[in-house]
Amino acid sequence: MGALGHFLERQGIPTAGISLVREHTEIVRPPRALWVTFDLGRPLGKPDDAAFQSRVLRAQLAMLERTDGPLLVDYPEDVDGEVDLTGWACPISLAPRPSDTLGAEVDRLMTWYDRAVAARGRTTVGTSGLDMPAAAALVTGALDGPLPPAQALKLAVDDLRAFYLEAASAFPDPGTTKTRMAWFWDETLLAKALLALQPKLAASEDPQHKLLGALTLIPATERHRLGAAP
Amino acid sequence: MVKRLSELPEVEAKHLSPERVKCPTYDDTPLLPGKPLAQRRVAIISTAGLHKRGDRAFDRDDGSYRVIPAETPASDLVMSHVSVNFDRTGFQQDHNVVFPIDRLRELVADGTVGSMASVHYSFMGAFPVDAAEPHAKHLAGLLKADKVDAAILIPV
Repeated sequence: MGALGHFLERQGIPTAGISLVREHTEIVRPPRALWVTFDLGRPLGKPDDAAFQSRVLRAQLAMLERTDGPLLVDYPEDVDGEVDLTGWACPISLAPRPSDTLGAEVDRLMTWYDRAVAARGRTTVGTSGLDMPAAAALVTGALDGPLPPAQALKLAVDDLRAFYLEAASAFPDPGTTKTRMAWFWDETLLAKALLALQPKLAASEDPQHKLLGALTLIPATERHRLGAAP
Repeated sequence: MVKRLSELPEVEAKHLSPERVKCPTYDDTPLLPGKPLAQRRVAIISTAGLHKRGDRAFDRDDGSYRVIPAETPASDLVMSHVSVNFDRTGFQQDHNVVFPIDRLRELVADGTVGSMASVHYSFMGAFPVDAAEPHAKHLAGLLKADKVDAAILIPV
């Protein structure tokens, strides 16, 4: 991100950026950056809090008035940590049965996904162009047979992940982002499928499959689960 | 909450370490002066890998950008960033936490900002910088053609 500040400002466009990792910005030294302590993925801080987002945006825009730089300004507000609801359990029974399939799990979540879309008026599912049963079939097929092209698999998996987490946000007791993430990795057949798929991708001779397995299938924070998959 | 890397759990700190990320270095770029904010035309440049549903998804090492017209409904915005190491649930809940177009529109309405660009843009931040530089130069010309004189850069 900081590199774009250099590129655009040198081409005559004044820029002001947000920095999510101060240590990176200290090295890249873009013209103007506002460092925030928010979670990666939330550069404006709090979803559904227009006043909070506006304060961040105003602080970012205010830097445009300055020409003494490079500027790295620390934004003064933090987002309070989420309340950790220990003991939260998924309120609807999604626990897989021995005969269960990924397709059946997707089918069970569909009602909750539909409720989430109705509540928000939007969905972020839709990069792969597949419907969710087809995306699930692609993942199942990748496990049981030849691997599809890496990009097709990656987009299908991203869509499925978004589908699961949007569905979970509409559960009767949705918990928090952290508990829903734990539910995804602890309890779902999709997570089990991804963990089982990783070694197969890593062993593929296709370099794109290898990269998907090595970097962009399993988050760094969940890689400790590899090897523990059944 | 991300604070200093030294305060993060080891696996996350290691993942974000400047050595692993290979942060590029540049000579300092002089900061351009400009009109007061209330007279500026502002564009949002995201690196969240955003695009309209149906537009070409971002692929690994993709240094290009996607075009997001200002009138794009939030329901048409999707994200195909290659990284799995950030939280997407904030974006799922409220696009403004990543792409603050409604906030910018409000600041234009109350006179804080002069006007909003007719088109905004998104890159996919995991680009190799050499792949993005020619696209960024091209983008600067598009911004000028839209009379934009300030860009806010929003990572993810």
